[in-house]
Amino acid sequence: MPGYKSIDRIQTVTAISFDQQVLKGEGPIVVEFMSYGCAHCGAIEPSLQQVAEIVESTEKIFRLNIEVDRELADLYEIQGTPTLIMFLNGAVIGRDEGPSPDVSNILALVRQPYE
Amino acid sequence: MQNELQSAPILLFNDECGVCRSIANWVKKQIQAGSVATSIVVRPIGQDPNELRSLNQGLNIWDAYATIHLLMPDGSMKLGGEAVAEVLRQLPATRWFTWTFAISVFGVRPFQAILNLAYAILADVRPVFGCESCGTPSPWVRPIRWIVKRAESLFGGIHHPSAIRHFSSLPARGRPPQTHHI
Repeated sequence: MPGYKSIDRIQTVTAISFDQQVLKGEGPIVVEFMSYGCAHCGAIEPSLQQVAEIVESTEKIFRLNIEVDRELADLYEIQGTPTLIMFLNGAVIGRDEGPSPDVSNILALVRQPYE
Repeated sequence: MQNELQSAPILLFNDECGVCRSIANWVKKQIQAGSVATSIVVRPIGQDPNELRSLNQGLNIWDAYATIHLLMPDGSMKLGGEAVAEVLRQLPATRWFTWTFAISVFGVRPFQAILNLAYAILADVRPVFGCESCGTPSPWVRPIRWIVKRAESLFGGIHHPSAIRHFSSLPARGRPPQTHHI
């Protein structure tokens, strides 16, 4: 999976930083609930990196590892990975479970709720 | 861990995958049962990319989950069938036949090639054995998986909650369904 190893454009958020970076963060914020052992998450990773680069001036994309922060996964009723949740001013305004791993699809998913 | 890296090979395994866990446990038993000293460290990949990089700078956590990795004391890494061959070489019960993997015929190592193929097949069929986090099955595996799922539904009454292709459902990965509400 080349293309995302050199620069990681997706910042990892944890239970400690979630409140500050996501709930109190400004503008559109997308959180990918994932785990490294999930091959589906690995499959969308290169596309998500590209999308993060495309939207970096308008949106922030974070990853949250559900194996590390299970309480947040429970709070947001994560049934599986990857799940993308779109936040605006601390409120959930969009959600997608198991997106198709192509750039155009993910780009549409992370833009649509904010239009 | 750094000391272990310097003195013994480290076998990384996916502890979210039942097949991988079983193989790792088998390797551990072989190490414990061996009368000859065997130095191999078996450890789960874990969830910390930085911790993995501290073992080997060239190690990427996504790659570690995708393919079996054996970190050698000299800083090199063996992957896939080559890693399996090296592990078998280290184990007292199996090292007797591992010389065959080095046999070369016109530049091709036939026994190593068979082992590579066997590893590739095993990696592909993991979803059939319930490793949903292992990803979407390869096209050749899908009919087998379909048959297994139908058989389980008919005879075992097992419910597979995830019908979405690009999704690893948490109950299938050993977590109970959550009933919390925001």
